Amino acid sequence: MLEMIQDGFSAVFTLQTMILVLAGVALGLIFGSIPGLTATMAIAICLPITFGMEASDGMALLMGLYIGGVSGGLIPAILLNLPGTPSNISTTFDGYPMAKNGEAGKAFGLAIVFSFLGGLFSILILMFVSPPLAQLAVKFGPFEYFAVTMFALTMISSLSGNSILKGLLSGLLGIGLALVGSAPIDAYPRFTFGFDSLDAGFELLPVMIGLFAISEVLKIAQSQMRSIDHTNAPDYTIKGFGFSLAEFVKQRWNGLRSALIGVGIGILPGIGGGTANIISYVTAKNQSKYPEKFGKGYSDGIVASETANNAAIGGALVPLLSLGIPGDTVTALLLGGLVLHGLNPGPLLFEQNGAVVYVIFAALIVANVVMMIFLYFGMRIFVKILSVPQHLLLPIILVLCVVGAFGVNNRLFDAGALIFFGILGFVLLKFHFPITPVILGFILGPIAETNLRRGLMYTQGDFMPFLTSPIAAIFLLFALGSVMLTIRRNVKKNKESETTIAS
Amino acid sequence: MKKKVPFRFVALFGLALLILALFAAACGQEETGAPEENNANEQANEPNDATADESEGSGEGAENSEDAATASGGGEYPVDTIEVVVPAGAGGDTDFNARTLGKYLPDELGVDMVVTNIGGAGGTTGTKEVFDADPDGSKVLFFHNSMLLNSILGLADYTITDFALAGIAVLDEGNGFFVNAQSEYEDLNDLIEAAKANPGGISIATEVGGFTHLQLLALQEETGIELNIVDVGGAADKMAALQGGHIDVIPIQYGSAKEYIDAGDFRTLGILAADTVDLMPDVPTFKDQGVDISFEKFFFYAFPPETPQEVVDMFSQAVQNVVENNEDYRAEAENFYVSPTYMSPDEATTYIQETEAYYEELLEGVEVQ
Repeated sequence: MLEMIQDGFSAVFTLQTMILVLAGVALGLIFGSIPGLTATMAIAICLPITFGMEASDGMALLMGLYIGGVSGGLIPAILLNLPGTPSNISTTFDGYPMAKNGEAGKAFGLAIVFSFLGGLFSILILMFVSPPLAQLAVKFGPFEYFAVTMFALTMISSLSGNSILKGLLSGLLGIGLALVGSAPIDAYPRFTFGFDSLDAGFELLPVMIGLFAISEVLKIAQSQMRSIDHTNAPDYTIKGFGFSLAEFVKQRWNGLRSALIGVGIGILPGIGGGTANIISYVTAKNQSKYPEKFGKGYSDGIVASETANNAAIGGALVPLLSLGIPGDTVTALLLGGLVLHGLNPGPLLFEQNGAVVYVIFAALIVANVVMMIFLYFGMRIFVKILSVPQHLLLPIILVLCVVGAFGVNNRLFDAGALIFFGILGFVLLKFHFPITPVILGFILGPIAETNLRRGLMYTQGDFMPFLTSPIAAIFLLFALGSVMLTIRRNVKKNKESETTIAS
Repeated sequence: MKKKVPFRFVALFGLALLILALFAAACGQEETGAPEENNANEQANEPNDATADESEGSGEGAENSEDAATASGGGEYPVDTIEVVVPAGAGGDTDFNARTLGKYLPDELGVDMVVTNIGGAGGTTGTKEVFDADPDGSKVLFFHNSMLLNSILGLADYTITDFALAGIAVLDEGNGFFVNAQSEYEDLNDLIEAAKANPGGISIATEVGGFTHLQLLALQEETGIELNIVDVGGAADKMAALQGGHIDVIPIQYGSAKEYIDAGDFRTLGILAADTVDLMPDVPTFKDQGVDISFEKFFFYAFPPETPQEVVDMFSQAVQNVVENNEDYRAEAENFYVSPTYMSPDEATTYIQETEAYYEELLEGVEVQ
């Protein structure tokens, strides 16, 4: 095995392959950093280019794009409060406040280093323990998926800000939006009102970018209409990575837990990085001694989000490489790439094409290092975005969002949906409804419904197996515990506020 | 002075972003386009001209093309770029077949060819896109049997024969049933006997209203057994469910299962081919085992209705040349266990109408909620 690893690295360290990895990471970072363009799109565009290459070169390029695409999103998340990709939603919660407080350098430093560490951790897991993990992942059937999604949906209560009620309403709105289109299983059209365009429902990307990016643009545009203040550049200083060794050591448990959450969620086909960062963030907040500091520019929040999203990369590759099962759109594209190079992902991939597999591993590690270096030197330049006048920056962002939304399926309908969700997001912001629960509901609602219906088909209508399957039962208990905890916390909080009012 | 510096920076930055946007737009259009790097670069340099002209000038193009075609004796294809719409995600078998053919067809026609994946709603989003497109030969659909099902089940109000059919290019005869290697069923008859002893007790995967659903209905009708039909999702989900021990039997393509059979994870109960398939001589058919049903998955090209016949013929001719004479293509397709088989528009229409009648008969009285 050691020899194979060596061979993998020596294949990557040739001039041509190295250039491809560098180019992949650079392009990936650009795609990731532009709200609306994602790793998926970067890979979709470059996939045909790889057909003409050797399999190992092609894979090296794709891995660079993947790592870069997931990591690049942290830039606009921290600087502009716009998540570059669904993987960076919760990076905005603390990243943007930190940047506003003049700690952009520190926010970047933490995000970059922990992206690197999370990625590295997951790649090592992928290299050394993927077969047993993949076996565990396929043990998750509909009962288990349903239970996990239920548990994940309870996270909404911790993302609700001041009003649990508003949080729940937002979550329900997300689930409701996800209902539009063909129903899972029987493809019966729901809530399409006779519009053919609605048959396929809404794509995640226009919904996410609309709710987060467009609404933010609208908000800034509105708040700055009266002021001719060109920039909102806060003061910033960047020295090294912007944080001390002591601060790093303080994050070790948070980092490890977030990496484990990222890998764990990444491994489960169908859930992926967009959920991993949110769940990791919420877990960090709930486990923290100072949950009230989250959302106001707290290091732990950034660490939790950025570690988990990069850790999901290695996780998602576990079932792909060891079983040939793609977990999300990115891995589905990678699967296509492998097949077109005559490599059939599946149980025999390691045996028959071990050399290429180790090139993939080596390329991932190298790309991860390159990503850190690029971002480290790049952050001094990125922060300059803050000195760009808003009236120039915002239109550019709008255009890019529309381009990205259109690119998902080459349909103009998605661009229209983007604008619709932008306005919806703006309205929600105005009425102080939290937006993250909408996305969480939108992603998780269909997974829960599909698996509930599949499970009931298995059992021919019997609910009991949802409770008696051990893994499912554990997660349902977690879900119950999570709800109870929230209720207790709220009762306590209400009592406190009552006493303060009374006194 | 202090104000000037950021402004210059802004201008540069804005310019950079705009270039990027154009690049992205060009690539977005192309999505997963032409196989050579050169092509991608060329298009990126002149994104506006290349793409905008085609879509806007299409009506005109069609008229011109007719003249051109008649003048030169039907020699030149009317547009420079053909968009092949695949109504399924990247990485699946439809996508694979479209892209493999897409490597060789451009040389025959002297055009560029880009494959776009328009997934969703069981393929109807993509088929609708082509159905409503300009009939100038610039957009062609590449899809399979499921489209018949979509119209029979009322998910679409048009069917394959409403399009300008350009023929069938590939048949996949490896529609097989597979079990986990630990399963007690060695062959099809083991399964049938077990199902007779325990009606509704054996779970078998499908996608409701999909091609595999038909196969299961036909099996149940032919043998009088009753299975617990469970929707577990697409091919990848089916394989995961079989590996995880959630389901007893899955119907998928032999080409997708081959790896797992070689690895000793899966076993085949047989394929639904009419005869022994040359590509997989050792795999027993259902007919060999006394169950007289057969299904083939066919992949066809279809243009929007009203597309000029000579354009369709020219395209169909090119498909025939690649499918029948191009050894590189044949080798690549056979490596994936599909049989390159050309049927002309007329042959394909007859074949599809027969198939449709059979499917209708099978689905009669079946309620898909």
